[in-house]
Parts: sequence; C-alpha cells; structure tokens
Amino acid sequence: MAAFLGMTKRMVRSIATPGRLIAMSTVGIIGIIIGVVVDRSDPGPEFAVDFLSRFGLIIYVPLVVLVISTATLGTLVEEKTLVYFWMRPIGRWQITAAALLAGLVVLVPLILVPLGVLAAVVGDGNDVSGIIVSSLVGIAGYTSLFTLLGLVTQRALAWGLGYILVWEGFVAGLSRSAGWLALRTYTTSALSRIADSAGPIANPASGFTIAVVTVGVFVCGALLTTWRLNTADVA
Amino acid sequence: MTVAPPPPGPPVPPMPGPQAADRTAAAGESGDETVVVSRVSKWFGDVVAVSDVSFAVWPGVTALLGPNGAGKSTMLRMLAGLAPTSQGEVSVLGSNPRADRTVRGRIGLVPQQESLFPEQRAIEFVTLAAQLNGVANARQAAIDALGIVELDPDDKRPTAMYSKGMKQRVKVAQALVHEPDLLLMDEPLTGLDPRQRLHMIELIRNLGADGVSVIVSSHVLDEVERLASRVLVIAQGRLAAQGDFHEIRALMDDRPHRIRVRTNDPRTLGAALLTSAGVTGVTVEADGVVLVDTEDVDLFRRNLAPVAKSFELQLLEVRPLDDDLESVFKYLVGR
Repeated sequence: MAAFLGMTKRMVRSIATPGRLIAMSTVGIIGIIIGVVVDRSDPGPEFAVDFLSRFGLIIYVPLVVLVISTATLGTLVEEKTLVYFWMRPIGRWQITAAALLAGLVVLVPLILVPLGVLAAVVGDGNDVSGIIVSSLVGIAGYTSLFTLLGLVTQRALAWGLGYILVWEGFVAGLSRSAGWLALRTYTTSALSRIADSAGPIANPASGFTIAVVTVGVFVCGALLTTWRLNTADVA
Repeated sequence: MTVAPPPPGPPVPPMPGPQAADRTAAAGESGDETVVVSRVSKWFGDVVAVSDVSFAVWPGVTALLGPNGAGKSTMLRMLAGLAPTSQGEVSVLGSNPRADRTVRGRIGLVPQQESLFPEQRAIEFVTLAAQLNGVANARQAAIDALGIVELDPDDKRPTAMYSKGMKQRVKVAQALVHEPDLLLMDEPLTGLDPRQRLHMIELIRNLGADGVSVIVSSHVLDEVERLASRVLVIAQGRLAAQGDFHEIRALMDDRPHRIRVRTNDPRTLGAALLTSAGVTGVTVEADGVVLVDTEDVDLFRRNLAPVAKSFELQLLEVRPLDDDLESVFKYLVGR
C-alpha cells in the first residue's frame, strides 16, 4: 500500500505544477466573475443552470481535466521516467490506478471549489448539488479518457482539444445519436435533472444511463490504459 | 572465443535448437545462465536495430561493447523487458522479463537517460524504488544503497540540482536497492569524474565477484577492459564477436591495418617496404604519401626506421588510418 501511495504521490507532484494550478484556477475565477456580473443584470430564471452548463460543464471541466490528466502518464513518457515504475514487480493496473487516483486528487478540488462557489452565487441549493454531481461525472469520464490519451500520444493536448471542440462542440450537436457519444450530454443531463431545469439540453439522459455511461467510460479507459502499459515499448 | 558470422541481410526465421546453448558449450562454460538470448531481432519499421543475436550470460560482469547506435541500448531494453523482441526469445532468470513480474523484481536497471523526478530528493526516489520492489525496510535499504554510491542520504537538495555524475549515481542506487540478481547498466560511467569512475568500476567488479550478473554497455574499449573479462561486441545490430577481453583485443589488433607514411621519396620507400616483412600492400600517392597495408603493426614499426635509414629517406609522418573503434567494429562485422 505504501508503494502504491508513494507512486500516486509522485504523480500528483508531477502534474500539480504551480503553472498549471494557477492557470486553471484563473480560468475558474474568471468564470465566477463573469457569472456574478451577468447574474446582477437579472438574466432570468434559467440563467444559473444555463451558465453552469455552458461555462462549467462544457468548457471548464473538460479543459481542466485535459490539461491535468494528459500529463499524468504523458509527462512520465515524455521525460522517460515511466521506466522507474514500469520495471518494478507490480501489476500494470497499479500504475493505471495510481495515475487515475493522482488525477482525481488534483482535479476534484480544482474543479469543485470554483464551480461550487459559482453555483452558490448565481443559483440555489439544487444548483450546487447539481454542479457537484455533474462535475464528478465529467471528472470521472474525462480523466479516464485523457489519461489514456496522454499515454498513447505526445500530442495529447491537441487531440484532446480536437475532441472537445470538434466532436463535443460541433459534431455531437448535429444529431441526437451523435450527442449520445459525447460525455457533455451526460454531464449536462446530470445537472439538468438534479437542478430540475432544462438548461442547454432538451432531452436529458436518465439517471441510470448517466451512471452506466460514467462507470463504463471510466472502466474502459482504465482497461485500455492498462493494456497499453502492457504492450508499450517503454523508453 | 567464438565469432558470430554476419547473417545475410535482414533477420532470418529462427532455426531449431538453442543457438545460445551451442555458444555456451563453445565458450567452455556450462549451465546456470542468467540470461539466454536466442536469435533475437528487433526492428522499428524498416530500421533493423538488432539482427539475429544469440548469446548467454552468467554471473559476473559482461560488457556489451559497440559504437553508438550499434543496438546496445535496444538489447538492454529487451533484456529488461521494456521492449518486446520482433523475433526470437529472451530468457532472464528462466522467464520472460516482459511477462513475468517476479523476474522484473530480480532485475536492476540503470537506464541511459539522465532524467529523474526533478523535485524529489535522492532518498525519496530510492526509497520509492525500494517500496515498489517490496523491500521490507525500504528507507534503510535506500540509505544503504545511497551509501554504496557515496551519496548523502540526508541531502536536502532535489535531484534537479544534482550534477550529471550525481544523477548517474542515484540511478545506480535505485537499481541496487533491492539487491537484484541481474543488473543492467547502460553506459554507467557517463558523467562521472575520474575518482567516481574508479569507484564505480570497483563497485561493478565487486558485484560481479559476489555472484551478481552485471551487463554493462559501453562504447569505450579502455573502460570495458577495466570492467569486464567477458565481452560481447555488437556492431550494426549484430553480434560481431564474443569472448574473453584479451582475445577480443587480440582480434582487434590482428586485423589488417593501413598506415599513412609521408616521406621525401615515396617511390623509393614504397619499393623498399614491399619486400619488408608483414607488409601486404603499398600504394604511392601524391604529396609524398605512401599508404601501407600490414597485418602486424608492431613488426612494421620496427622495420620502418631501418628501411628509411638504409635508403637515407626522411620520415615526415607516420599515422594509422583505421585505429578508431568504428573501424575495428566494421572489420569485425565484415569478416
């Protein structure tokens, strides 16, 4: 257990660089400021959920997870230090688990604190609960996907941005079936259901579907990461 | 000593029978191999990094000698299980190091790259290595390992502030911390100052004497001479020769040599040298240069001055043209 925690701690220290934390926190603070300013102009009853969805779940959550999670294993590959974990007599799944845990340790406060504050300022108790649950859905799904991406390619940030902007931001909006293949559908659905407000999504997924998809994406990402670690040519 | 014949072109399919075992018999050693490499090839796309290599390694120090880009690091990575073979089999301590995690726990690796976790202290880095290897008292083991490489376990500085030589020693400490049976060291003397170099050589020799199988890669012949008695010469991805260091050295010295001699009368010197013992060919070139081919450099050197004196010739320059290691490796591969 000490070895696993030591590995996780090592990964946390490598991804939670001051530069990344300051940059991501700044984006969160800007979101809070914009939300507060617009909220003072009495934008209407749907504003809170709409803004939390569009800024929080569609921009902030995937962006922050992308920056942090692609670095978890990606930095080790880039700096050729993965060998110091890979050579040890431990299961590859432990490296995957440590990477995912390290990502979650950094991401949960980095995302929930600003979005929770934002929801408290512009919305009510349901909005706070909704943004916390929906953010956790997003953190789980995106973390698993982007940790894998960081291991697979050294251009993970570019590919991840492409996925967020092109697939989730454009293609997923073209048809309902394509929308089911975008994680944002489930994060915004979770917020919409808990806050009891439609927000930007017309037909939110059911709670059961959200849970199954979230767990499914997380597990698939973890399994593929472990498989990749098993088959990779480690430098 | 055995010399591997150059395989024709790209990697060939494996043939029946463990070639490494044959080599074991040929080398006059028997059983207890730590590493058995059987007809292993590794290619990256169209580039063949290692081609049809077979050898075995026993406890003691074995050097993997070859020029840069010869395939030494790729071979070490396959022995560590970091890279799969494209063809052939690697057996370390009786298992496949890529598939068997318990075997990985018996291997120590000093990788070539300098990088460590920059913000971590040496003691933290080596302790984590010990923990991941399941060492019972990880911190004490780390303190001991750092002591072996003469580093201070109480040093508060992060490894990012270490010199290249200190980082190299940290890498060695993390490879030793779990007392491995097989130690793979990729250019371990790189970056060390002369005193540290001597200490590291002594450490490696002691580990070998204690029964650890140590495989050390190097492109420096003199380094290898002080490190290991057994040498595997790799060049252009192929095993060019293997055996005792002195036999390899003799093989390198006995090859044909070309020497450039500049004189005031090249034609007279060339004609005189043609009848001299040990000379196999003479070419007279412009600017007073004579190129002499010989299979015995010492004999040629002894004869040159008397020949020049007897014909009253001035010797302006005597310089070997192919004494660099690259030429030696090319010769070994091509023979």
